[in-house]
Amino acid sequence: MNQTNVHERRLTRAAEEGNLNRKYGFWIFLSSEFLIFAGLIGAFVMTRASVFRSTSSLEEFVQKWWEANTFSLALVSINTFVLLASSLFVVLAIDAARRDDQRGLVRWLAATIVMGVIFLGGQAVEYTLLVSEGHTYFNNADAFASAFFTLTGFHGLHVFVGTLICIGVLQRARKNAYWSGNFTTVEIFGLFWHFVDLVWVLIFTIVYLT
Amino acid sequence: MAQVPHTSTEHAAHARHTSPVLVFVILTLFTLIEVGITLLGLPKASIVPVLLAIALVKASLVAMYYMHLRYEKIIFTLIFVLPTLFAVFLVTVLMIG
Repeated sequence: MNQTNVHERRLTRAAEEGNLNRKYGFWIFLSSEFLIFAGLIGAFVMTRASVFRSTSSLEEFVQKWWEANTFSLALVSINTFVLLASSLFVVLAIDAARRDDQRGLVRWLAATIVMGVIFLGGQAVEYTLLVSEGHTYFNNADAFASAFFTLTGFHGLHVFVGTLICIGVLQRARKNAYWSGNFTTVEIFGLFWHFVDLVWVLIFTIVYLT
Repeated sequence: MAQVPHTSTEHAAHARHTSPVLVFVILTLFTLIEVGITLLGLPKASIVPVLLAIALVKASLVAMYYMHLRYEKIIFTLIFVLPTLFAVFLVTVLMIG
């Protein structure tokens, strides 16, 4: 009896350490991701500055670029709201897992997927409008567009991957794979999704507002 | 299979003190303020520092309350914040330049 307890305690401690190690690893991964985004944001800022220098009027250039997408700011603001809401849904999903609320977990994860798809849809609309106005990735004369598409596209790729991961987590959640004693996977997915949200907060301000 | 007590249960208890809905409302309000400031049409030089400050506050709120850094072990904060400081320094220098 006593030996069984000791064995159980060891198993529990090993599992706890395993969960902690997964979190350590994931935070290190997120840090490296942040540095990649910092490089891309830096490249975007530099490209924009160099384009401004070579253009006679800074304001005129910005105006011209955004005229290509007249409701760009409204569209991107809605997308920002969508991503912020999706982050809230992930928090609620994790909270549901913590409370052994299986239905709540599934519901909030599904809502997160919907938000991810809406965000990607909004980005697709924005890209379509810009491309239709001649702003393309491979246009040598439009370095600003290349920097813009690289940065926002890389972020969009993260939303896409995050949505796919969320679908995977949802599938497992439907099979009751997560409960109050085992939801580290949901938490780690949450970290990724919040990170994507955090980066968007910065991109939104630096790319679209400043 | 032994049930695994969750490593962040203790932190989660603290996390419940700050409503995620409240954080969401604050983030949304800050976003509306940012867009409002931009639409005022003031000179870029005067609004950029304000917008960046608001963005940093928003990002910090997401990291502290949604990513639970406020309630997690300090090592997680260090792992994330040190490269972040470098990134903020890099982008700030580039923007000033």
